[in-house]
Amino acid sequence: MLDAVSAELLKFSRHRATWFLIWIYPVGFILLFAIAIAVALSGALPESPGTPSTAKWIENTAAVWYVPPHTLGRYLIAAFTAVVFAGEYGWNTWKLVVLHRRRPALIAAKYAMVLLLLYGAVLFTALLSVVLTWASDHLTGDAIPPGITPAAILHEHGMRAAVTIAPVLLTIAYTSLAAILTRSMIAAVVIAIVIGTAEQTFTAFAPLLSVYAPRLIWGLYQVLPGYHLENLGSWIVEGKAFEARFPRTGVVALGWATSAMAMAAWIGGLMLLTLGSFRRQDIN
Amino acid sequence: MESEGAVVELVDLSKTYRGRRGGVHAVRNVSISVGAGEVYGFLGPNGAGKSTTIRMLLGLIAPTGGEVRLFGEALRSNPRTLRRVGSLVDGGAFYPFLSGRRNLQVLARTHGGEGADARIDPLLEQVGLAHAAERRVKGYSTGMRQRLGVAAALLHDPDLVILDEPVNGLDAAGIQEMRMLIRNLCDEQGKTVFLSSHLLHEVQQVCDRVAIISRGEIVREATIAELLRQDEGLRIEASPLAMAQSALEGRWAVEPDGGAIRVAATQEEAPEVVRRLVGAGVDVFGLAPERRNLEEVFLSITQEDPDA
Ligand SMILES: Nc1ncnc2c1ncn2[C@@H]1O[C@H](COP(=O)(O)OP(=O)(O)OP(=O)(O)O)[C@@H](O)[C@H]1O
Ligand SMILES: [Mg+2]
Repeated sequence: MLDAVSAELLKFSRHRATWFLIWIYPVGFILLFAIAIAVALSGALPESPGTPSTAKWIENTAAVWYVPPHTLGRYLIAAFTAVVFAGEYGWNTWKLVVLHRRRPALIAAKYAMVLLLLYGAVLFTALLSVVLTWASDHLTGDAIPPGITPAAILHEHGMRAAVTIAPVLLTIAYTSLAAILTRSMIAAVVIAIVIGTAEQTFTAFAPLLSVYAPRLIWGLYQVLPGYHLENLGSWIVEGKAFEARFPRTGVVALGWATSAMAMAAWIGGLMLLTLGSFRRQDIN
Repeated sequence: MESEGAVVELVDLSKTYRGRRGGVHAVRNVSISVGAGEVYGFLGPNGAGKSTTIRMLLGLIAPTGGEVRLFGEALRSNPRTLRRVGSLVDGGAFYPFLSGRRNLQVLARTHGGEGADARIDPLLEQVGLAHAAERRVKGYSTGMRQRLGVAAALLHDPDLVILDEPVNGLDAAGIQEMRMLIRNLCDEQGKTVFLSSHLLHEVQQVCDRVAIISRGEIVREATIAELLRQDEGLRIEASPLAMAQSALEGRWAVEPDGGAIRVAATQEEAPEVVRRLVGAGVDVFGLAPERRNLEEVFLSITQEDPDA
């Protein structure tokens, strides 16, 4: 299996999509950071807002973790997943590799590779963020708030990283299924964007919509992944359930275990469907 | 060929592509068996079903009927046998954004077998691509891709090599090299080779045995020598032709041939043919042995389809 993952890495580390969709995290961060430093040094800002609190300082270094689970980040992940899974149809290369491995192993290797590259890039960016923030505070003469310990940094980053897991896996799962079924990168990206947007819109507007069909919306809201993603995030960051108030039917506030199981079912189900569809597929 | 030693065995293999306007019966009840160490040719005109059969052989598409057996095991229940197979289909499709060498490295790792990495350089040398190994495949010519495809097929030292139209797109020197390579795979390395072609003279030069496929069905399976022998014949000018035909039918195959008839008899049988004709009161004006060249044999075989 390690061989298969390493083959995928070898394949995609040279692809242009990897630059635009994966290395964009550290590259984008360095660019933004450089601009921020330049602005600070030029004195364009009236007054330094003063030393941030310890918590705020640490939170700022973890900003990159907010990208993958939210709209733009999920589009980036969807696009990369589409290239990785549907690209093989476009290049006509499935027939090159399917002799060498069982088909499920090829799909599993792709999942592993996408996660490895994505989390590698984000983790690297987070590390860069801590080091550069610390260094730039020295450079600009800003005071570093007291009480910053590796353990405190690790805790904040670990928490933020945990929040990304379910949405990232979900995005990869439905995009890979779309890629295998449509055999087209463009179609897979479009479907993934539609699904992602629909899911986020529904989650946001479900309480409003529920006045039209209270029971249906209430049921859907608790079955579809949107609420469970919010809820897991809330449990991880705030230690309590995410509460959604529905005018007719009441409040949705589920335990973390329920949401974790719901997400595991969604992600696992979609990935198994992807494996199953590919197993039986004719490669012409 | 007994099925014990068969490397490839197709049993009643069929494939129907479903479409909006009914299905296309691309392959119908194909049964053949290829022994170890053989170079087996799969010959047929465009659209005959060669690529479809090869894709089923490689597990790329699922048969709608019948079974593929490789090395004595059913492919369906044991897809791992494919690890002993090397293939070249569609003229070598590769990752266009990677160099030739990197493509082979990706394959070597995907396979995960021992020693594949070490074989990359010698293979690139062997197929004449060492000079272009670092260039992206995107910029390769058709022939270069085909050559890289051969290297990819041999990368993990397979026991069975399956080549779909291996000489397509190759220049004269490339075709010559390919022939030598294929014979060498079989004669020196003891590999079994299954190749398809729509060119009879290609198959004639490298294969031990051929199956001729036309409209999805095997119309003949024979060694090259047998094929030639089967098509020895006598051209006879006689009168009346209808009487001549009925005098010979039942003993030999007879077909009209312009103002004469063509009898599927050997030259040794000529005296008997003449005795029969004369006995039936037919006037014989001329008799000549006729050996059609293989191209004509192939054409006549693939065109004698009933619904042609
Ligand atoms: N994916 C497909 N969907 C529908 N029909 C197909 C498909 N692939 C092949 N066919 C049809 O099946 C038949 C056999 O095609 P196949 O590609 O196997 O022929 P071939 O012998 O390889 O021909 P060629 O010498 O042109 O490569 C043809 O009638 C073709 O149109
Ligand atoms: Mg073909």
